[in-house]
Amino acid sequence: MNLSLETILHGVAVTLRDKIAPSLNDSFAIETSRLAAMLVTIAAHSIDDAAAARIWENDQWRQLFASAHPIVPADLGKRLADAAASVEPGFKISELDRENDRLRRLLVELQTCVESGTSDEAQAVNRRIWHILREGEERRAPRI
Amino acid sequence: MNQMESRIAAYLAHRMPHAGSVEVDELARIQGGSSQETYRLRASWHEQGQPQDAVIERRLILRRAPEAGLVVAERDIEYSVYQALAGHGIPVPAAHYYEENPRWLDRPFFIMDLMPGKPGHFYASSDPYEGHSEQIAREFWRHLGRLAAIDHLGAGLGNLRNGQDIGAFWASELDWWADIFAQNEGICEPVVHAAIRWLRTNPPPAAPKPSIIHGDYRAGNFLFTPDGQISAILDWEMCHISDPLEDVAWAIDPFWPMTRHLPLDEGLAEWESTSGMKVDREALGWWRLFSAVKASAIWATAQNNFTQGPAREMVVGMSGIRAGHFHRNLILNLMAERGQCA
Repeated sequence: MNLSLETILHGVAVTLRDKIAPSLNDSFAIETSRLAAMLVTIAAHSIDDAAAARIWENDQWRQLFASAHPIVPADLGKRLADAAASVEPGFKISELDRENDRLRRLLVELQTCVESGTSDEAQAVNRRIWHILREGEERRAPRI
Repeated sequence: MNQMESRIAAYLAHRMPHAGSVEVDELARIQGGSSQETYRLRASWHEQGQPQDAVIERRLILRRAPEAGLVVAERDIEYSVYQALAGHGIPVPAAHYYEENPRWLDRPFFIMDLMPGKPGHFYASSDPYEGHSEQIAREFWRHLGRLAAIDHLGAGLGNLRNGQDIGAFWASELDWWADIFAQNEGICEPVVHAAIRWLRTNPPPAAPKPSIIHGDYRAGNFLFTPDGQISAILDWEMCHISDPLEDVAWAIDPFWPMTRHLPLDEGLAEWESTSGMKVDREALGWWRLFSAVKASAIWATAQNNFTQGPAREMVVGMSGIRAGHFHRNLILNLMAERGQCA
């Protein structure tokens, strides 16, 4: 059996909650221990799918940019096309996060452009953006 | 006395030259007021000219600037508001001393009375107000209405943010929180950006009057007593002047839902009865989305402070992670109500 980081973190959380917190006398320290246990639990739940959630979202934005770049002004369209052709710079969470931030900032420009557009294409892109934003939020939801 | 108790005693002796044998004990840090360190303590002293056995004893609260917190809290604002609101029908503690000199306790702090009662935890699954939920909810709304009715200039609060303005508070408050969000945003959050754009392009009507805004008026920021009375309204560090609907919208945010204890219509009727104003429901809708943006800005601050350290309070980390997600989801739902998000 592989002892995973997720399992280790769950063990730390249970220790904080069930062994450390009840042994303390100071109410502030007890509450702090319980909150720490909850934070560690959230980290444990998110660690296994952390890379998958980020790669999924980055891929969704690249696909969107590929389809949306023809309907926006040329300068933005060029940057969207470049981003659509990009790949993950690495697979560390920090690298995926930096790439996610870069793509999301471009997305804000795209959404600002299409949300005021009246064409069917612009409205379809805007609906697609909201759909991905909602699903991305669900995929990253902290779980206790 | 431990070291911190001794330092507080030295400060009290400095501020009360008529007092002798000042002692501080039972110092304990308490949860609450995540933007500041909060301690309760007991102070005792003799008054000069009085018999030595005439010991005066006070239960006090000390609020000190944190090494890191949820917002850029301004303790002098909270201290000033406590002083200004005394006698206006709003239950607030008597504030005694405000100190900025770091020689006493390293960081700015102020000292006020410990008020009777306890907070109700808004996330408690059982009745947080021990059988008095409806009574407390009604009083919650009536106090907020009284606050909205106060003439802030007459109360000496013209120096608060927007204190000399009238009318379009929505714009200045949206700028204020959008700026805080921009300063603290980590990974870009397009959901919040979209909400800010919608708020700018769909403004509410001008405020009916400038009102004192608590800034964090919600379940969890007041104390109640066993007879079902609200004994103190606390945590005024984000107090400012704005449209009275700003506090109303914040109070009904589903993260701390007072509406679970009293239907919204009944709560708003209580507010209208003491404020003397009618609630514009459409404008309230604008302020509800604004509240979600404001909350997102506060959670972004929490994330940033926890990331940068040096102090990493667990409650701040939890707010950054869990509450941030909650309010982005809320924005998604509110934008869907506006036809913006499927």
